[in-house]
Amino acid sequence: MVSETLIYLAQLLVFPGFLFVIILAFFAEWAARKITGRIQSRLGPSYTGYRGILQPLADFIKLLSKEDITPTTADKLFFSITPVMYFSLPLAAFSLIPITGEEALVYFEGDLIFLTFIFTVITSLVFLGGFSSGSIFSIVGGLRAATQLLGYEIPLVFSLLYPAIPAGSFSLTRIVEWQQQNSTWTIWAQPIGFGILITCMLAELELTPFDTPEAETEIVAGWSTEFSGARLALIRLGKNLELLLASSLISALYLGGHGQFWILPPVIVSLMKMFTVFFLMVFLKVIFARFRIDQILAGMWKYLIPLAIIQFLIVKIIWGL
Amino acid sequence: MQFALEALKNILRKPSTQKYPIERVGPPEGFRGRPVWIVEKCVGCGLCARICPVNAIKITGKGREASITYLLDRCIFCAQCVESCNVKAIEIKREFEFAGYDKSEMNYVYDKKRIVENKA
Amino acid sequence: MSGSVIKVVIGPQHPALKEPERFILEIEGEQVVRVTPRIGYVHRGIEKAMENRTYLQNLYLAERICGICSHAHTTCYAQAVENLMNVEAPPRAKYLRTIIAELERIHSHLLWLGIVAHEVGFDTFFMYVWRDREIIMDLLEELSGNRVNYAMNAIGGVRRDINGDKALKILKGLEVIEEEIKKYIPMIQREQTILKRTVGVGYLNSVDAVRYNVVGPMARASGVKRDVRRDDPYAAYDELTFNIVTRNEGDCFSRIMVRVEETLESINIIREALSKLPSGDIRVKVRLAIPPAEAVSRVEAPRGELIHYARSDGSDKPARYKVRAPTLANLTALCNILTGVYLADVPVILAGIDPCFSCMDRMQIIDLEKREKKFWTLEDLRRYAREWYQKH
Repeated sequence: MVSETLIYLAQLLVFPGFLFVIILAFFAEWAARKITGRIQSRLGPSYTGYRGILQPLADFIKLLSKEDITPTTADKLFFSITPVMYFSLPLAAFSLIPITGEEALVYFEGDLIFLTFIFTVITSLVFLGGFSSGSIFSIVGGLRAATQLLGYEIPLVFSLLYPAIPAGSFSLTRIVEWQQQNSTWTIWAQPIGFGILITCMLAELELTPFDTPEAETEIVAGWSTEFSGARLALIRLGKNLELLLASSLISALYLGGHGQFWILPPVIVSLMKMFTVFFLMVFLKVIFARFRIDQILAGMWKYLIPLAIIQFLIVKIIWGL
Repeated sequence: MQFALEALKNILRKPSTQKYPIERVGPPEGFRGRPVWIVEKCVGCGLCARICPVNAIKITGKGREASITYLLDRCIFCAQCVESCNVKAIEIKREFEFAGYDKSEMNYVYDKKRIVENKA
Repeated sequence: MSGSVIKVVIGPQHPALKEPERFILEIEGEQVVRVTPRIGYVHRGIEKAMENRTYLQNLYLAERICGICSHAHTTCYAQAVENLMNVEAPPRAKYLRTIIAELERIHSHLLWLGIVAHEVGFDTFFMYVWRDREIIMDLLEELSGNRVNYAMNAIGGVRRDINGDKALKILKGLEVIEEEIKKYIPMIQREQTILKRTVGVGYLNSVDAVRYNVVGPMARASGVKRDVRRDDPYAAYDELTFNIVTRNEGDCFSRIMVRVEETLESINIIREALSKLPSGDIRVKVRLAIPPAEAVSRVEAPRGELIHYARSDGSDKPARYKVRAPTLANLTALCNILTGVYLADVPVILAGIDPCFSCMDRMQIIDLEKREKKFWTLEDLRRYAREWYQKH
């Protein structure tokens, strides 16, 4: 019993738990910056470590050593809680995703709905962080994040929950199992759902073309303007973790998650799929400009919601009731 | 769509960053760096000191025995002194890396008796 | 005043502005209801400094009024002083001045295009445009010795010549730039994210443009066909053929298109000037003690009409020198455009006037006797000038 608990604890903390995910987040940030640099005809990180691979870690350590300033008009409690929660929520949510083998570390019926809930809580943390900072730029950034939430929330929840219909269960592990058993990927029957999910995830993660909450030229850094030092380090790490979480969730829901492919073990397969979705999102981030907040809301309600309804009808027709 | 193709093409091309200071491509011919005095030719007329827009040239003494102090931290690299010198005693060197920690090391003295640099 | 009006200060330091100015925007929700500008952060006392230096030293001071339009300032200065002395630069010098001026216009418009892309959030396009701008910067470094502040003008001509292979290098560089710009034009016209942010944004119709005395590409984008190169030709422009690019829509998108098409026109002007380059001297000798006279010279800087006024009194230092930069003329129009727009459009509109706040100084008069601060508007200045002239 004790050894079982110890093994479970090691899995949770090291592999495929917290430490593994954090190292993966640093690696993903390096990959994103390199690709962005190459597309923009420049180098990206090059000097720290081999080809700059230690750059995200170096940034993290540097930020930890900087002075941590709290504005006098800030709400001290929420100003301190928000970065910590922003970092720990995606980290904890990773244990729900089946990366390694058959089952995720934690699974229960309905954990997909729980993941949806976590995404909404993250956005409300953004709003809370912006409001508690006490500076005009943060408040406007937080307001914009909340306004964007009104736009993408419904299509996001729809496209996250549609893969549960053919699988007959709201548990992520079961959905991946269903895709394994039928040797198919959800995306073949639900391509519209995949498109909607990618778009709404871009809005959730505040990437262009939906990065109004942190529009650099309009409101300095948006909701994270006033954070500095260790808090900023946690926020940046939280952003990377969120991006990874979204990529692995999308790849598990629509691209079949882990699975034995040729001689590659399931871990490698699921990591490859995760990075495919990751690069797709980074590429979309680089090639677009930023929309205005009213255009985002109008576009989401005019286009995404009807498309989501169409997708629902298609799924119902294929799988009957 | 066109832009996405352009972006993809750029991943495969060489980036246009020059890895300075590991790779250095020198400034081209005709670059206006810092002026250097040829003391053998200088007649001590003081035109360069009078014409300099920022008073970066100081001349002490008279005639052929004059010595010139050039203040690098004031110079705007306009090369007007080169043009105004009647005996062509000033030349332009193609240097541009002048940053340093100590301002007193940035003055050059040109003297007939000894040519000393970096000593005010 | 309703409680929902928030004051956002686009303060002296802001990522949207490349140079410090302060705009206090009062916003309700996301719409701007009032704008209060406060300028003068880059006031360096240049006009006073010019009175203490000789004409030759002032040439280099005039160059440093602005880094992006430095050649326009020196050309204007050299022309003003040449008018004072009643000399004219030789024809070859005029052509060389034109070539460098058009190269500077290309580089300034490309810089501006990158900045607008950055304001809209389109960093990739910004990187691409600035990469192409490096070609022009390297060209200018070879021709003049420096990437900015070229110091090509001298009173009475130009300082350096352009010989055969430098001309070939210019032509080769221009070919690359022309190809890249022709690739960008359809990209801009079809890229939905740019179109949505700039079409219909910051509208200024042609009647208001004339009323607010708008100059440069901003006026041309509202249908007002004003260009100093055509209305009052200087340097070699009366011998070259070129089009004045205008558009009628008056929004940010037409300002982008006007500047991009002007870049293509500049490329053609340079090619024509290089092929028609007359031979001869590049300089005439001048004596720099000038009898009393007054002169005004106008030049089409990349941002609009630039005016210099000079007055001499017989010595080798000017008695009075006045600079009116184009951004000053565009600023009143800016405040009127900004009321009623969304907060998210403010940086794009600000970037649309191509602000060069270093060029525009403004006097703030502190009356020590009455111990009060006065901000002078154009009306106050005109009134004061009239009264002063009536007394003297």
